[in-house]
Amino acid sequence: MKFISILLFCLFVCGKLNAQLYPLAGLVLDTEGAGLKGALVSISGCENTLYTDKEGRFFVDGLKRGNHQVMVSLGGYYAQKLLVNIQNRQTSIKVVMKTSDQQLKEVVVKHSLIAARRQEESLNIEVVGSEFIQRNLGGSLMKSLERLPGIKTIGIGSGQSKPLIRGLGFNRVLVVDKGVKHEGQQWGADHGLEIDQFAAAEVELVKGAASFIYGSDAIGGVIEVKPASAPQKNTLGGSIDLIGKSNNNLYGTSVNLFGRREHWFLDTRVTYQNYGDYSVPTDTVFVYDYAVRLHNRQLRNTAGRETGLHLATGYVKENFRSVFYFSNVYNKSGFFANAHGLEPRRVNTEMHDASARDIQMPSQQVNHFKVVNRSDYRMGVHKLEMELGYQQNFRQEFSQYVNHGYMPPVYPDGLSVSPELEREFDKQVYSINLKDMITLGNHQFTAGFNSEYQDNTINGWTFLVPSFKQVTAGIFVYDKYKIGERVLLHGALRYDRGQIRMFKYTDWFNSELTTDGTTIAEKLIRANDLKRSFNSLVWSVGLNYNHEQFLLKANAGKSFRMPIAKELGANGVNYHYFSYEKGDPTLAPEQSYQLDLSLGWNEARWSVLISPFYNYFPNYIYLNPTANHDFYYGAGNQIFQYAQSEVIRYGGELQLKYRIWKSLSAEFLGEYLFAQQISGDKKGYTLPFSPPASALFNLSWSPAPESALRHSYFSVDYRLTTRQDNIVPPEKKTPGYGLINLQAGTKLNISGQQLALSFQVQNLLDTRYLNHTSFYRLIELPEQGRNIVLSLKMPFNISLKQTE
Amino acid sequence: MKKLSLLSICLLSLLVLSNCSKNTAGPIDTAYPEINTSSNDAFPKQCSVVKRGEKFVFKALLSDNAQLGSLNLDIHHNFDHHTHSTELEECDLSPVKQPMKPFLLIQNVVIPTGQKSYRASAEIQVPADIDPGDYHFMIRLTDKEGWQTIKGLSIKIQ
Repeated sequence: MKFISILLFCLFVCGKLNAQLYPLAGLVLDTEGAGLKGALVSISGCENTLYTDKEGRFFVDGLKRGNHQVMVSLGGYYAQKLLVNIQNRQTSIKVVMKTSDQQLKEVVVKHSLIAARRQEESLNIEVVGSEFIQRNLGGSLMKSLERLPGIKTIGIGSGQSKPLIRGLGFNRVLVVDKGVKHEGQQWGADHGLEIDQFAAAEVELVKGAASFIYGSDAIGGVIEVKPASAPQKNTLGGSIDLIGKSNNNLYGTSVNLFGRREHWFLDTRVTYQNYGDYSVPTDTVFVYDYAVRLHNRQLRNTAGRETGLHLATGYVKENFRSVFYFSNVYNKSGFFANAHGLEPRRVNTEMHDASARDIQMPSQQVNHFKVVNRSDYRMGVHKLEMELGYQQNFRQEFSQYVNHGYMPPVYPDGLSVSPELEREFDKQVYSINLKDMITLGNHQFTAGFNSEYQDNTINGWTFLVPSFKQVTAGIFVYDKYKIGERVLLHGALRYDRGQIRMFKYTDWFNSELTTDGTTIAEKLIRANDLKRSFNSLVWSVGLNYNHEQFLLKANAGKSFRMPIAKELGANGVNYHYFSYEKGDPTLAPEQSYQLDLSLGWNEARWSVLISPFYNYFPNYIYLNPTANHDFYYGAGNQIFQYAQSEVIRYGGELQLKYRIWKSLSAEFLGEYLFAQQISGDKKGYTLPFSPPASALFNLSWSPAPESALRHSYFSVDYRLTTRQDNIVPPEKKTPGYGLINLQAGTKLNISGQQLALSFQVQNLLDTRYLNHTSFYRLIELPEQGRNIVLSLKMPFNISLKQTE
Repeated sequence: MKKLSLLSICLLSLLVLSNCSKNTAGPIDTAYPEINTSSNDAFPKQCSVVKRGEKFVFKALLSDNAQLGSLNLDIHHNFDHHTHSTELEECDLSPVKQPMKPFLLIQNVVIPTGQKSYRASAEIQVPADIDPGDYHFMIRLTDKEGWQTIKGLSIKIQ
């Protein structure tokens, strides 16, 4: 029975099966005894190379009797070479890998791990490590990931952005941090994602619906941010990152310190970044026809600060680990002073231009605190996992009081809300995830439970969303079944229930209505108490076929999303957008059917991967700008009504890689997306924030692994973005543009400690362009001009006395 | 041979995708409606002056490529100079002051349905007891598809 359980994945047959040939089973472990997934195993006398599975196992059949050389390699570990004598029966070996370096993992070898994971998942995934982030360091984690095909961002300023996966964003993309769903105010286009990119050791992106694992919100995709793994035994070490950027005069640092004796470890990190107003390649911007002169080509009041404090501590043993993660991410930044939303503002330029680093009003301030415990326990065929989380997202938006609509001309004394506090959102979230992975023969079953409780309160002198409480819970089963060496089948089923309770909100000021000469003045009730319950059954089926250089993945599934409080209960004026946003308390949960396909071919010199998808929403929830104005509740603004419509979406990504010479390679990344509403008031229109097609041409030089310069690279990206004419009110057509980015880096060895230096020039030619998915697109603000990014990473390791 | 078959699968899937796009129904309307206040009889214009206790007639030419939607007029004070009009031309502003009883008007103007072009006019009574000074006259016009054009004019009430 145990033998069969070893026959899991990556089962390869070498040569023909006959009586003279024998199998070899192996287990690849780290020094703590945990299985290492994705290690590359090559065996003399066997043409195929193979990768270890999730438990670190590999299995090979058809070896001749006698001595074979087995080589095991994995990024971040010293390669192991050993001689194995194959006898008449099955031989089992155990390989223990020692870390070569805690912090600087080899990019090259890491690709093997990613490749292995890609072969095992029927969903379309991308995995990047901290080296990728350092190489492509942007203003935020999502900006750094934007180079990946199918990934875009909705950004505001130089420090905040949120993900768009194949054109879906906001609450349709789920972010998982340390195993727990990250909950902020995802619905706001001017809100960022409160995640410290220096604390991300690895990021895994799922393009396409993954509702069956994560539940509501994973309808467009999942971004999983993984923290650094526990340090090795008897180590003390850390790293210092120094960052500088020319465009917004950013300086920052991230300092990491970790240590471990036997089973207990501690890992801490402090990040600080401080940046000034960012600059654009123009002297004047136009808000409508109103010309705004810029001082030093800088966008007034877009400076910001960011701090991240992290502490992880835990107990790690062979079959059991439990880790506590504490983190606090704080961000304060200004909004462009000459336009609050779409509203042109006259400002005191002298005050604003006195310093490019000060943050005046309007501004935003967000603090995200998080405590997570992750524990797992291996027991026979079971692997149990548990995550418990608490997080608080506290967001405040500051602006001087301006009496919009019927608000009193002077802010009254005696109100409990400060006249500078325009909006405040306080979200507290408790989460629990339980999971059991059971390995039985060729099946790998996973059964799980997730639940979340949210308590949201609001404050401030404007109203958009009511206070609400929300409980959700879901159970799922997932089976991964291996047929032969080439085929993996996936099937999953999930059931969710959710309840949302929203609370009454009454305006603090009177609105006036005159009908037939009589005027009534009353405090409007913006939201009433409301309770809604939802349930949903979703499924997913998938297939992987891997044969030699060929790779095929197919996945079909249904996913869902519970309407959020804003969609159900909004009833306020977003004055900065001249919009009166009206929720619909009767909305049904959004459903989506998606078909994903990936076809790939890998040769030594070149590879190609094409990933088309097709997606159908019977009831996409959408904020529809109507033809009408409301002059009472809406104070004369255009009514934007939440509605549901049928939507089709399709598109895909194409990746081509070609090695021209040993150290020179070329890459092409293309992406295309089409979305159309096929029913409802906006029939024939696309969805908001649909990114235009784009292509990235890359040329990279990086010397062969045996070269002395092996850690150096130089790379040029040319990204061509087409124009976007496919728009929906209130968007504007965006012209196409081309951008050149440069990346270069090297590693130096100074007295035994490695030092990684990376250098980037973003927007090399200082091109003036508009980004269709940027928050500032509607007021025609150009994107950042040339930006030189320098970052330096200094890892250090102090080996403690070995006790083994 | 295998490479050929892979290539053909890729081409096939591209073909399927390109066929899908033919489902597109006729061209969508992406044109914003227009507010024209440049004609001689249009009122108010940027930097116009109106008097307290008197009536004035708002006049503008509205047009859209397909069908006009709704029109809203809004007059609010700009005593604090906080917001700016949408226009290029700057007007002389009186010094910043505290509002006591500023004029506020939020009024819908009915546009008959099915119009591509419409000469809008509306009589506006300025009360006698309101604060004189700098005001904004906002014209918000939508078309049937939900495109909105905003014109924010700076006016003075004496």
